[in-house]
Amino acid sequence: MEELIEYLPFLIPIVIIEMALAITALVHVLRHPNYRVGNKLMWILIVLFIQIVGPVVYFVFGRGEE
Amino acid sequence: MKAYIAFTKKEFCENLRTYKLFIMLCVFLLLGLMNPITAKITPQLLKSLMPEGMNITIMEPTALDSWAQFFKNVPQMGLSVLVIVFSGIMANEFSRGTLINMLTKGLSRKVVILSKFTMTTIIWTLSYALCFAATYAYTIYFWSSEGVSNILLSVFSLWLFGILLLAIILLGGVLFKNNYGVLLFTGGFVVALMLLNLSSTIQKYNPITLASSNMALLTNNMFVSDFTMPIVICVITIIASIGSAIMIFNKKQI
Repeated sequence: MEELIEYLPFLIPIVIIEMALAITALVHVLRHPNYRVGNKLMWILIVLFIQIVGPVVYFVFGRGEE
Repeated sequence: MKAYIAFTKKEFCENLRTYKLFIMLCVFLLLGLMNPITAKITPQLLKSLMPEGMNITIMEPTALDSWAQFFKNVPQMGLSVLVIVFSGIMANEFSRGTLINMLTKGLSRKVVILSKFTMTTIIWTLSYALCFAATYAYTIYFWSSEGVSNILLSVFSLWLFGILLLAIILLGGVLFKNNYGVLLFTGGFVVALMLLNLSSTIQKYNPITLASSNMALLTNNMFVSDFTMPIVICVITIIASIGSAIMIFNKKQI
């Protein structure tokens, strides 16, 4: 465990970027309730719980036309 | 030229507003940060997961392990994300009919393909550079760079393979009118290259070497001369795909 704490300064940027991706996608899911496939709940779960790939898949396949 | 610059600007705006630029930069920065850290932490994780009394000697990680992570993650994860993000580049224009107005007003079809190619290349280069810079900085910080040779050529060849994929995506985009066709086409292309790699005569010329044998180059198991032919073939394939994409697009009904 001590070792993990030692590397915390290096892990924090990773966590921040992952959160940034997830939160941008989450905000987009909530504000644009038209999707090409699926529904709101499904996309919220995907975006929050599948790291990296979830937001990418949402922006590429799930995002509806404005 | 004016049309080219204007259309490239439009492409930039589109990539910015559809979050493609943001996704690419985030994912590649993330990959870049993760490589050295995974290399550094793995032995300790293994040690803490090992049951009591079990003893395996675990090698101290070196700079090479960090680059091994880089050349494993970027071709797998990075290139997949690249292909997925840009798979709709032509398909979206076709399905929304946004090209019709511009083409009937006199925009040359060649310009459409070339601008799209330029913009995707710029985005790929930016994100790849970010990824490389992050891995490089951390690797230098954790270890000295001893025992790593030809790093620049190695990194360059993977970059070139990314551009080859972009050219294939554009060709696929012109051939098929939807996302999935492009994904299948690009996937099929990579699988075909892998199958060709089984034959040892073709292996020497196969562009997939650029994405799969980078570690061998770093550890001096392969030499710079082994990479010359694949690079030449790769550049020829890029030019040929873009050329044929333009020719097919000229004849295509929109």
